[in-house]
Amino acid sequence: MTLLRQFILPRLLQWVIVIVVGITITFLIPRLSPVNPIQQALARLTQFATLEPEAVLQLREQLMANYGLEGSIVEQYFRFWGNLLGGDLGPSFGAFPQRVNDLIGRALPYTVALLTFTTIMGWIIGIIVGTLAAYYPGRLTNLVAGVMIVVYPVPYFIIAFIFLMAFTYYIPFFPLIGVFRGEPFEAEFITSYLHSTFLPAVTLLITGLSFRFIMARALGTAELSSDHVQYATMAGLPDNRLMYSYVARNTMLPQVTDLGLSMGSIFSGTLITEAVFGYPGLGDLLLQAIYQADYNVVMGITLLSIVGIATASLIVDLSYPLVDPRVRYR
Amino acid sequence: MIRKSVFVLIALLMLVPSLNVTAQPSGLPVDVPREELFVMDQIFRWSLIDNYNVWNPARITPHRHALMAETLWYLDQETGNIMSGASNEPPVYNDDYTQMTVTLVDSLKWSDGEAFNADDLVFTVETVWNTPGLSFGGWHAQFADFLESVEKVDDHTVTFTLNRPHPRFHKNFEARWAGLYMMPEHAFSQIEDLVNYTYQDGPYLGLYAPVEMDPNGFWNLFKKRDDPQNTAVCQYHMNEDCGPGYVLTILYGDSTKKVIAMTRGELDVFMNVDFEAFESLLASTPTAKSWYPEFPWAYPNETSSRLIRFNFDTHEWTNNKDVRWALALSLDIVQLQTEYIGGVAKVVYVTVPYTPKLAELYYNHPRMQEWVENLEIDVAGEPYKPFDPTVADRIGEWADEQGYAQPAETAAASYGSGWWKYDTDTAAKLLEHNGYTRDGNGDWYTPEGERFSFSIQAAPDEVDSFRVANAAADMWNDFGIDVELQGLERSVWGANTDTGQFEVDSPWTSFVLPDGDGWPQLRNYHSKYYVPAPERHNSLGGGTPARLVDPVLDELIDAMVALHPQDPQNLELVHQFLQHWVENMYYIATVSFKKFVTWNELYWTNPPSAGNDVYMPLYWFQGGRFSIGGLESLGG
Repeated sequence: MTLLRQFILPRLLQWVIVIVVGITITFLIPRLSPVNPIQQALARLTQFATLEPEAVLQLREQLMANYGLEGSIVEQYFRFWGNLLGGDLGPSFGAFPQRVNDLIGRALPYTVALLTFTTIMGWIIGIIVGTLAAYYPGRLTNLVAGVMIVVYPVPYFIIAFIFLMAFTYYIPFFPLIGVFRGEPFEAEFITSYLHSTFLPAVTLLITGLSFRFIMARALGTAELSSDHVQYATMAGLPDNRLMYSYVARNTMLPQVTDLGLSMGSIFSGTLITEAVFGYPGLGDLLLQAIYQADYNVVMGITLLSIVGIATASLIVDLSYPLVDPRVRYR
Repeated sequence: MIRKSVFVLIALLMLVPSLNVTAQPSGLPVDVPREELFVMDQIFRWSLIDNYNVWNPARITPHRHALMAETLWYLDQETGNIMSGASNEPPVYNDDYTQMTVTLVDSLKWSDGEAFNADDLVFTVETVWNTPGLSFGGWHAQFADFLESVEKVDDHTVTFTLNRPHPRFHKNFEARWAGLYMMPEHAFSQIEDLVNYTYQDGPYLGLYAPVEMDPNGFWNLFKKRDDPQNTAVCQYHMNEDCGPGYVLTILYGDSTKKVIAMTRGELDVFMNVDFEAFESLLASTPTAKSWYPEFPWAYPNETSSRLIRFNFDTHEWTNNKDVRWALALSLDIVQLQTEYIGGVAKVVYVTVPYTPKLAELYYNHPRMQEWVENLEIDVAGEPYKPFDPTVADRIGEWADEQGYAQPAETAAASYGSGWWKYDTDTAAKLLEHNGYTRDGNGDWYTPEGERFSFSIQAAPDEVDSFRVANAAADMWNDFGIDVELQGLERSVWGANTDTGQFEVDSPWTSFVLPDGDGWPQLRNYHSKYYVPAPERHNSLGGGTPARLVDPVLDELIDAMVALHPQDPQNLELVHQFLQHWVENMYYIATVSFKKFVTWNELYWTNPPSAGNDVYMPLYWFQGGRFSIGGLESLGG
């Protein structure tokens, strides 16, 4: 009961507040921006047309009605919450009359599949290799460390561009954009998915893995010099037990936090990856929405991101007592 | 042992994805024989999937309208000529321009075999007129504003009655970008909710029908109709089976990816790339060709031009004609065109692109030639002739020095008009005459004693506009003015121009349409649309970001409104407008549009080019349909 009142409930309340405040800010920011969706749409709709000024005015009024941008900001705000609680994120301005729910629903699986795989793989491999490198310093592990240290500071877009040039131009084996054939879960779709996703996945894996490797190696090295590991070593405990129970486990708290937050941020998409490799995820959708001042899509994706990160933080918080008994005893 | 096991495991994990893909070929997303498939650069990503409702106000018409849709006439940007669509005769107006009669072609059929006739046109107009949700192109608003009735006279004749005179009403059916897309009355009259209708199953009046689409919007496959002889495109080409069997539009992304795709044989035409990417393509793909087979390569006749624009509303100095002229005379247009634009765009001294038709109507017209050659401006009480007719020749000499082979045309045909002299001494006199001073370092100060400084805004993704801004900023800084170049993301730049948050910027526009008519573009400069910043410049429907107020321009615009576009008096009024504009140097026009529209003649040939200049190569416009229909197979 005390755990519920003193630990779980405050965090749940914090979660609700973060989401409400986040969504409110997300609602306000595009509306404070000088970029106006009606102006953007007008420019798009009347491109090269020879319209009477009176016709432009009529078109503007009609767009205001279509997009639900009539009324004051306060009215729009409450209308937005009303729609949101009913599960409707409204129409997209750039793809009117398509609903934002549909656009996000189409992009989300691609982003989740790519980032879940690369985040978890990068996390697992990074921690295992990093901890091994800390525990067994030697020529090979130093070589791996050297490579990771070189790769880590290289900006992601450089790595992505190198892979793009290498494997679509010099060795033209992979497609230039995501080409997905067949229906989901059919063999043709899976094969084309793997083919199209290979380059984005490898580049993301490399950058994620290098960071986690460096972090795991540093934490492991610090842990090795701690008193309890020194004592256990002198006590003659076997290597396996020392490495997993004394070194790796004690470095897990920041690693779990990192994993939790990384998983939460999956819902923001990977803008550069998607743009470079023509991958149809949330990042590219967000970019297009920003260009078109498509408030509703921007809000939909940001909402997903806020809920994702806040929920991940909550889960990480709640899981601390499981990972680290010291938290339970406080 | 543990170490070895772990590393083997890691190595295996990293290999897993590659084991799955080794059997996959690279290539296109559709299974159509390459010799039947034409692949074109899709200029953006579709948002609406499997929705071909081109009347719906969503961004869904480029490519599709050229392939699937039909309108009455097409205004070709290369020639300035009207090309036939569903009508092959000009519209006939009554004397006071309150009635327009249209005659339709009697040989067109919808893809389901039904004949196209007056019922379709009347149905289309009435449907768009009465359905606010079908507002693409602003046609609904135009009809609501002007139309009194539309009536079928006979199967191929339709009369429009207007509620007030409008000598340009036919422009609603004349595609520069798009003209009112025809609807199949026999099919659409059965559909209750046309706003939400997806129009996936036709029937279509264009040459192609959509057959497959990427669920993520990166590509769209179209198949040629079974009866191509019943389409306006094949009838134009006098070829009963014109055009490729299939057309795939595909979005690869930036210049680099488009060039890679073309070198891989996975792209047959692209809209544009940057100069550097184009050069690398030429080196790697000998079958790739743009408009000219040699320098300056790029297509130069899209009807728009780059310029430097002043905001007349928010800054006092921009309202000083002498200062504007000083800024023009301190620009070296040859250096701008060669070093910043690469020598591949035509120079213009007014915001009228130097296309063959417009050059004839404006730059080479005796009235304009005589005027510009004798133009004098007042420089501190002394007359001064600012025009330099040698610019195109000097650019040609520069191209020679670079070792470029050049087309056997006059320098003007390749490099445009004359321009203003690069004369910083005269520019200095103009500034000094207006109280500006210069210190020992050559830095200019305003009459109030402050450093003469301003910013110039441009969107870097509009490459030539940004390069014009960059050149101007460099040259003005060299001249001693403190100029800051601000590169802004497109939507932010657009928002700033809308709300007057700029001093000087680098946009693009044309004062005339491809056929030479000026009023549709110029009417926005009428002062009745003026609103002060920060109110949006088009709050009253018209207006421009420059927010210029000039009664002389108002008079000229008012005189144009009642004239037919081809009335000689209309041309004279546009000439007067341009002359007054230049004398006041309201904008500093720089270069025409150019685009590296490039065709890879690996699978398909006979694209429009300088040697085959019968129509424009701008395939994403609705009139681009003729360039697709004219392609001939090389047999793979």
